[in-house]
Amino acid sequence: MTEAPTANVTLDAKGLLCPMPIVKLAKAVKEMDSQQVILLEATDPGAVPDVAAWSKNTHNPVIHQDKIGKVMRFWIQKA
Amino acid sequence: MSRLLYVHTGGVNNPERSATPIYLATTAAAMDCEVGIYFTVNGPTLLRKGVPETLIVPKYDGKGAPLRHFIDQALDLGVKFYVCQPSLDLHGLTKDDLIDEVEMIGGAAFNDMALEADQVISF
Repeated sequence: MTEAPTANVTLDAKGLLCPMPIVKLAKAVKEMDSQQVILLEATDPGAVPDVAAWSKNTHNPVIHQDKIGKVMRFWIQKA
Repeated sequence: MSRLLYVHTGGVNNPERSATPIYLATTAAAMDCEVGIYFTVNGPTLLRKGVPETLIVPKYDGKGAPLRHFIDQALDLGVKFYVCQPSLDLHGLTKDDLIDEVEMIGGAAFNDMALEADQVISF
């Protein structure tokens, strides 16, 4: 597996449930510049399909993801 | 940009049905969709001034949040709220009785929105 990219912004959404991680992610990405990377940390059990669906529809790609225990981490680059 | 139109018929007598269309609409707005919610049948009772602050969306542990929390999230992301006159008449409500963020439309405008939307989702 490739190394985790460096993130410009980290969003701690641990403990938040659907749809809050996605709502917070969308708001945070709006504040970022193009090509910047956000690291989203989430524990919501639906986070993997939800982040994938959000990414597909907003065209902001997930460039890396992993899971440490119950924490899913997503590195997303703003298009 | 994709367009989604939600139809919300639930009212104050069914608090468990009150928030779901609103937070799904919020999520759609977070996905860069253009989103509206049309409150009809009993839907407008949820938007009566004072109701969102006092209606608690139930949760198994008794720690539910007020409906206002879900409404504010939706409005914050640009979700539009619509009602039409006959469903206000059904409950003896006028536009002035409702929270300020609601827009009045008629049946023709609703049908036009439905025809223009990519999907219409009804609750």
